[in-house]
Amino acid sequence: MLQVEGLTIAAADTQLVQNLSLELAEGQITCLIGPSGCGKSSVVKWLAGVLPPTLTAQGRARLDGSAVTPPHPSIAYQPQQDTLFPWLTIAENAALGLEIAGVHRRDAQARIAPLLPAFGLDGTAQLFPDQLSGGMRQRAAFLRTIVQDSRFVLLDEPFSALDAVTRLKMQDWLCQQLARTPRGVLMVTHDLYEATQLADRVLVMGGNPGRILADLPIPSPRDTRTEASLAPMRVSLRSLLLEKTP
Amino acid sequence: MSFLKRSFPTVLIALALLSAWEVYCARAAVSPLVLPAPHDVLRGLWLNRADIGSHALATLTVTATGFSLSVLVAFATSVALYFLPWLRRGAMPLLVASQTVPIVALAPLMVLWFGFGLLPKVLLVILVTFFPMLVSLLSGYARLPLAYRDQLVSMGAGQWSVFRRATLPVARSAFFAGLRISATYAVVAAIFAEYSGARRGLGIYILSAKNNFRADLVLAAVVVSACLTLLLLALLHGVDRATGRRFRRDNDATG
Repeated sequence: MLQVEGLTIAAADTQLVQNLSLELAEGQITCLIGPSGCGKSSVVKWLAGVLPPTLTAQGRARLDGSAVTPPHPSIAYQPQQDTLFPWLTIAENAALGLEIAGVHRRDAQARIAPLLPAFGLDGTAQLFPDQLSGGMRQRAAFLRTIVQDSRFVLLDEPFSALDAVTRLKMQDWLCQQLARTPRGVLMVTHDLYEATQLADRVLVMGGNPGRILADLPIPSPRDTRTEASLAPMRVSLRSLLLEKTP
Repeated sequence: MSFLKRSFPTVLIALALLSAWEVYCARAAVSPLVLPAPHDVLRGLWLNRADIGSHALATLTVTATGFSLSVLVAFATSVALYFLPWLRRGAMPLLVASQTVPIVALAPLMVLWFGFGLLPKVLLVILVTFFPMLVSLLSGYARLPLAYRDQLVSMGAGQWSVFRRATLPVARSAFFAGLRISATYAVVAAIFAEYSGARRGLGIYILSAKNNFRADLVLAAVVVSACLTLLLLALLHGVDRATGRRFRRDNDATG
C-alpha cells in the first residue's frame, strides 16, 4: 500500500495542491483525472521525486506504513514523453533503470532480451528510438519502467502523444501487460474514456487549489465493461468535472 | 564522390581567386618583393621545403600540446562550473574579462616571464583556445531536456550519474562545435606566440622572412599554417565521425 498524506504543493505565490491524501493499492490501476492545471502532474512528480525546484511541497509518503522519501526504488515513473535517449539502442534504453540500480550492463541486457517479444519489440534490441513508431517507442518506455520491478508505477498521461488508433491499441496492451505483471498504477489522464476503461478506481481532482473531489471505484472486471455499462459513470464524472471545476 | 561534389565550388572559387591574383601580378608588373604571384609563393615553398617543414613541425608541436591541454582544462573547468553554480557566477565575468586582454600585449609578456621554451607558447594557445570550448560545453550542458533529467532522477540516479548518462551525451555536438572554433585559433595563437620570441616555428620564420623582404616566404609560411589548421579540423572531423554515429540521430525523445 502506497499512501500520500496531507500533500500541499505551492509555487511562489499560489497554492497548487492543498492537503491532498490518497492511497494506492497493490495490483490496482488508479486513474487521476481532472482539468488542466489542477496539479495532477505535480502530485505524480512529487511522488517520483522530480518536483521542479520552483515548487515547494509538504506532506508524507508511506509505503506499507513506513515513511519513504521519493525518489524510491519501489516507485517507478514514466513522464508524458517517452524520454527514450536517442543515442542509446532500445535494449540500452530499456536497461537504464536496472543499470542505475547497480545491475551490471551485461546482466541488465540479459534480463531485457527475453522480455522484448512480450512488449512487441522483437528484433528491435539494436535499433535506435528514431527507427521505431510512436506506439513501439511507448512500449519500449513501458519495458524500461516495468523491468525495474517497482511495486508501484506512476504514469503521467502516457498515451497523450499517440494518435487515436495507436492509443486504443496501447490501452488494451497495457491492461494485458499489467495482468501479467501486476503493479499498483497511478495514471494521470485527461480522458474520461481512458480512465473508465482502464481504472479499478478513478480519483477526480479539482483545481484552485488542487484537491480530491471524488473517489469512485469501478468494481466490474475490465473485460466485462461495455460502452453501455460505463456510460452512467462517464456521465456522472463529466458532470462532476463540469460542476466542480471553474 | 559526394566529398568531391561538395568541394567542387570551393576549389573553383579558390582557383578563380588565384588566377585573378596571378593575372594581376603579370599585368600590373608589381615587384615580387611587394606582392609575389602565387607561382612565386609555390616556388619559394618548394625550394625552402626542408626549412619551412622543420619550422612547421615546431609549430605543430606547440599547437598539439597547447590544444590538447586546452581541451582538458576547458573540460575540467566546465565540470567544476556546472556543479558549482556559485563558482560559475563568480568566475564567468572574470573569464570573459580575460578574453578582452589583447594577445599582442600578452604574448611578449609570456616570453618575458617564461622564456623562449615551449611553456609560454603552450600557455598562450591554451589562453586563446580555452574559452570558446568552455562556453560551448556550458551551453551544451544547458541543453539537457528536463524530461531526461527527471527520468533518471526518478530511477534513483545521482547528480554525477545524470551528468554522465545524459548531460554529456546531449552536450557532445556543442563540444565538437567549440573544438572546431578553437582549432581555427590554435595554429594562429601558436604562430603569434612564436612571433613574439622563439628559436623555431612558423612565427619566427615569418618574422625573419619579413625582415629579409621575402614576401614569397612569408606567404609560403601562411600557406603551411593554413594547411596545419585544415589538418587539425580534418582530424577533429574524423574523430567526430568515427566515434559519434549514434549521437547524430536527429530524433528528440522529448517531443
